Amino acid sequence: MVNYIFDGTFDGLMTVIYVSYYNRQIPNDILSENSYQKNFLGDDIYISTDINKSDKVQNAITTKISKEALKNIYYVYLSELESSYMLIYKYVRLGFKIGRKINYFLQNDIVNDVIKLSQRINHEAYKMIELIRFKEIKKGLFYAKIHPDYNVLPLIVPHFAERFQDQYFVIHDVKRNLSAVYDKKSWIITDIPPEITLITKEEEDFENLWKIYYKSISIEERKNLRLQRQHMPKKYWDMLTEKQ
Amino acid sequence: MELHDKIRILADAAKYDVSCSSSGSNRENKNGGIGNASFYGICHSWSDDGRCISLLKILFTNVCIYDCSYCVNRCSNDIERALFTPDELADLTINFYRRNYIEGLFLSSAVYKSPDYTMELLIRTVKKLREDYNFNGYIHLKAIPGADINLIRLAGLYADRMSVNIELPSEKSLKLLAPQKTKESIIKPMSFIHSKLLEKSESKKLMRHTDKFVPAGQTTQLIIGATPESDRTILKLSENLYKYYDLKRVYYSAYIPVFNGNNLLGVSSPPLLREHRLYQADWLLRYYNFKADELLTEEELNFDVLLDPKINWAMKNLNLFPVEVNTADYNMLLRVPGIGLRTAKRIVKARKAANLNYDSLKKLGVVLKRAKYFITCNGKYYGGCEIETNKIKNKLLPKSNVLEGQLSIFDSIYKTESNLPILV
Ligand code: SF4
Repeated sequence: MVNYIFDGTFDGLMTVIYVSYYNRQIPNDILSENSYQKNFLGDDIYISTDINKSDKVQNAITTKISKEALKNIYYVYLSELESSYMLIYKYVRLGFKIGRKINYFLQNDIVNDVIKLSQRINHEAYKMIELIRFKEIKKGLFYAKIHPDYNVLPLIVPHFAERFQDQYFVIHDVKRNLSAVYDKKSWIITDIPPEITLITKEEEDFENLWKIYYKSISIEERKNLRLQRQHMPKKYWDMLTEKQ
Repeated sequence: MELHDKIRILADAAKYDVSCSSSGSNRENKNGGIGNASFYGICHSWSDDGRCISLLKILFTNVCIYDCSYCVNRCSNDIERALFTPDELADLTINFYRRNYIEGLFLSSAVYKSPDYTMELLIRTVKKLREDYNFNGYIHLKAIPGADINLIRLAGLYADRMSVNIELPSEKSLKLLAPQKTKESIIKPMSFIHSKLLEKSESKKLMRHTDKFVPAGQTTQLIIGATPESDRTILKLSENLYKYYDLKRVYYSAYIPVFNGNNLLGVSSPPLLREHRLYQADWLLRYYNFKADELLTEEELNFDVLLDPKINWAMKNLNLFPVEVNTADYNMLLRVPGIGLRTAKRIVKARKAANLNYDSLKKLGVVLKRAKYFITCNGKYYGGCEIETNKIKNKLLPKSNVLEGQLSIFDSIYKTESNLPILV
């Protein structure tokens, strides 16, 4: 039984699928090198990432299965769950067998798991789009801090880059030490930590106005904290200006 | 007056308007400006009452020349009054927007000096946003009843959505509680907006260039429980509004007594559960292809607050059940208690791939606890009891006292935005 070890990147994972197909070797497990400890008995094979091979696999998925399938796979990958790599592997195999209709097979556990997990990632990305709060940390530069359960940063930046075309911004994932930086033209994700300056008086004023608004818009007679929490889970409250 | 006092007073005065939705518009961010609209709408926060905050929902002013007796802002009420300037409000909107607090502005107002004068102030504010700030975020504007039609036309060019609140579900109630407003002053702008929208969709067909005129359509609001209209009257009214004016939404607002001391209307607590049932029924009209007459009849004027309107309907039509999930058509699946829109779609999809078995129904999202009494799967019935009204009803009635814990059983009726994917 063979275990494939890769560098943890999406291209790396796609390369693993490529190699496994050409070697006709079904892996026992697929592991990212970050979490891998060398004490397995079986054969561990390290696969080095190859962009060409990755592209080929992605193309094959798009044409032989569907674009939606590739999207699901990418989302599941962003879950960063160790078990997700094998799940993706199995899903791709099944997809190559069934083809375009794979997502109709909702009774199949692999398909069902992929769709459910991909929806969870999508859901969290959506929550971040709702709940991110920017602070103006320097004239014209806006900064937001997040700590999502899944690595959703690459999914949410395009939304803000489209919306705030005239605004420099940084979205900082403090859990993964990744920052998305937008310069009014394009954006990148980097692991260089952003420089944070002190909050200005003007910024504080706007935050206070927002808090006043937030309090005034609620109807006392309808108080329903359970419903509030259902939509706005407590684990995100430290991101929210109105909850400070 | 300080800005924070204005916000406190004018947000408080706006809070009884239920709508906060930012959906239905695809406005793009043009020439490097600020903002865009997301078709499915985005909520940004939830207040302590569990309602979603999507837009900066605020009144331009709460100074009013009218005296509608259900309203806090009525001129005879002794309250703090405030008034924004267009500049203040535009600037505030932009600054909230840049921080991702909001999707845009929902601007309404009391009637200050005259309907036209007020409407002009609202227009100046949104014009500033669109033209001076190059703001392409969402704008919902209230049409002030009685304002000149030309002002409504102008406002519609800046707004994504407009609304005229009917508030009271019958002309009689309107005369009684809002004597200075006429039915005419409400219906006129509504039908004008509707005719403009029709005109637009006609010229779109002919590929002519059209100005953006309220791309997200119009909505309205009805107050529930301040006046004696039955659920049936209200639902029939909504049905007609959807049918003849093509409204995007009718909102229902349980009347909350806003009197200091003398409670003229004799209402003590807001009828929240009744409001909830009306929302459910409204969904059945809009998405489940039900007719108001199917849900309520001359003999049954109001909903049983203990039962979901869909279960209520199914109970009265047991002869149509059980249905076979492997063959029933989409419309019939939608009518099964425990099967929602998404689940019905999933069932139709999944059974193309393979025959459905009972165990997989749960995976597809069927709420078996309710649905099992109304379906068969491969010919087998899993309800356990005979399909008979009283037996099923007993099983479907909520166990504990619903009225006591009414809020805790509510689904998210205020989640006006759907969680549809906006990511590619
Ligand atoms: S006109 Fe509007 S703001 Fe004025 S009292 Fe009537 S409902 Fe209230």
